[in-house]
Amino acid sequence: MNAPDRYERFVVPEGTKKVSYERDTKIINAASFTVEREDHTIGNILRMQLHRDENVLFADVRTSQELIFGAVEILSRANGAIHTTSQSSPMQAYNQAINDLDKELDYLKNAFEKIQQLLSGYRILLELSSCSVGPALGLLSNGHQFEAPQGHWRFTRSLTSRSRGISRDASSLDCRTQLYFLLKPSS
Amino acid sequence: MEGVSYQRFPKIKIREVKDDYAKFELRETDASMANALRRVMIAEVPTVAIDLVEIEVNSSVLNDEFIAHRLGLIPLTSERAMSMRFSRDCDACDGDGQCEFCSVEFHLRAKCMTDETLDVTSKDLISSDHTVVPVDFSDSSGYDSADKKGIIIVKLRRGQELRLRAIARKGIGKDHAKWSPAATVTFMYEPEIHINEDLMESLTLEEKTSWVESSPTKVFDIDASSQQVCFYFPQLLLHFFAPSFWAIMIAQESRSYGEAGLVEIYAKEDSFIFTVESTGAIKASQLVLNAIDVLKQKLDAVRLSEDTVEADDQFGELGAHMRGG
Repeated sequence: MNAPDRYERFVVPEGTKKVSYERDTKIINAASFTVEREDHTIGNILRMQLHRDENVLFADVRTSQELIFGAVEILSRANGAIHTTSQSSPMQAYNQAINDLDKELDYLKNAFEKIQQLLSGYRILLELSSCSVGPALGLLSNGHQFEAPQGHWRFTRSLTSRSRGISRDASSLDCRTQLYFLLKPSS
Repeated sequence: MEGVSYQRFPKIKIREVKDDYAKFELRETDASMANALRRVMIAEVPTVAIDLVEIEVNSSVLNDEFIAHRLGLIPLTSERAMSMRFSRDCDACDGDGQCEFCSVEFHLRAKCMTDETLDVTSKDLISSDHTVVPVDFSDSSGYDSADKKGIIIVKLRRGQELRLRAIARKGIGKDHAKWSPAATVTFMYEPEIHINEDLMESLTLEEKTSWVESSPTKVFDIDASSQQVCFYFPQLLLHFFAPSFWAIMIAQESRSYGEAGLVEIYAKEDSFIFTVESTGAIKASQLVLNAIDVLKQKLDAVRLSEDTVEADDQFGELGAHMRGG
């Protein structure tokens, strides 16, 4: 009856600011900020990024939770304190940290997408049954010659393989062990 | 303003990727980033799941809310989810959150006519949008000969009927677990193994061989030419063993030879091996990409707004002025 909506755990209500910022009156170059409806996911990542900044003397993020309306709904709030040297200001450090994290995530996303494209272009799935790997690599069904570059072997065990052992001799493989190759067409 | 950036440059290497499973290595980043990605994949990547059920007829043995609960937990293919709106934010509909932009309608009609038990499964759910359908779990390789009929919702006897209309909406795992696209997401530190060469030298070849043989799964090998202990397919090993398992096993073996510390295992602090298993709602690789996008959106939401920045600068200038600067 008086239970709040479930989405209030992460949706900031009208009138409340998502981020609020307060300068510390007693210490110069120190400030505290409060982020509503956020938890360790953002809190920890900001804190560790702030620690990398040389001008930050002290940075801490605490996640606090509180009951609302006497119901069992728990709101989380991330409180932080930043203290910097006079070379920078807490606000600068905070914004810098967010920008750097943004760039890092962009970089990560590009790296992941590039690798995915590479894999989908070159990945070939072969099912071998108790034959040696060497000759099988030489020719594929369409007659093209491929060579497997050194060090790009990946062994995976599919759920279908019955036997559990991988023999010492790498050139012979179990029934239905699947191999993924990264192959480059030989020019 | 400073131009110095404290950005990290993470590296990714994919080990294995299937439709619902991805295993990759993430390097040169912090544990907080790895953990944030994990938390976002489980709780904050949006998917579509049934959220409202209107039951017309239900004469089955399960009551209405039981069936509604089960319907909510059925995973639906959610490629559309990232571009959909939350129904609470949708301004196209007249407030009931059931318009075509923010929701997908399903209906199900089943009546048992025969004497055989009728299984009402997720395949009987008919969607109004062909891109959002219950996930098909039938295995393409078909190693299990039984028919894959989808998730069983309820079983009906002769004469029992179930007729309902369901609305599926976009949501996140934080709201209710039915919206979580991840089955399990784990990451572990990459192990670094050091063989103590000096101690190793003090063993005879027979001792070395028997030490290498003593591990239940082959971890090391004796290099025939140099008679040194080396790794056996190092990449293979990192696939299958958790570092803790290693440490225990190898430490025990070392101790039995009176040489504790023959091999040491460290966890590399900035190298992680992620294992992502999805429920089928989103492909595993797409799940990782969506998680990165969602994390970026959250960071953007947390930026300080322009007027707070201005106020600070003014105060800063004022303070400097008052300090006689």
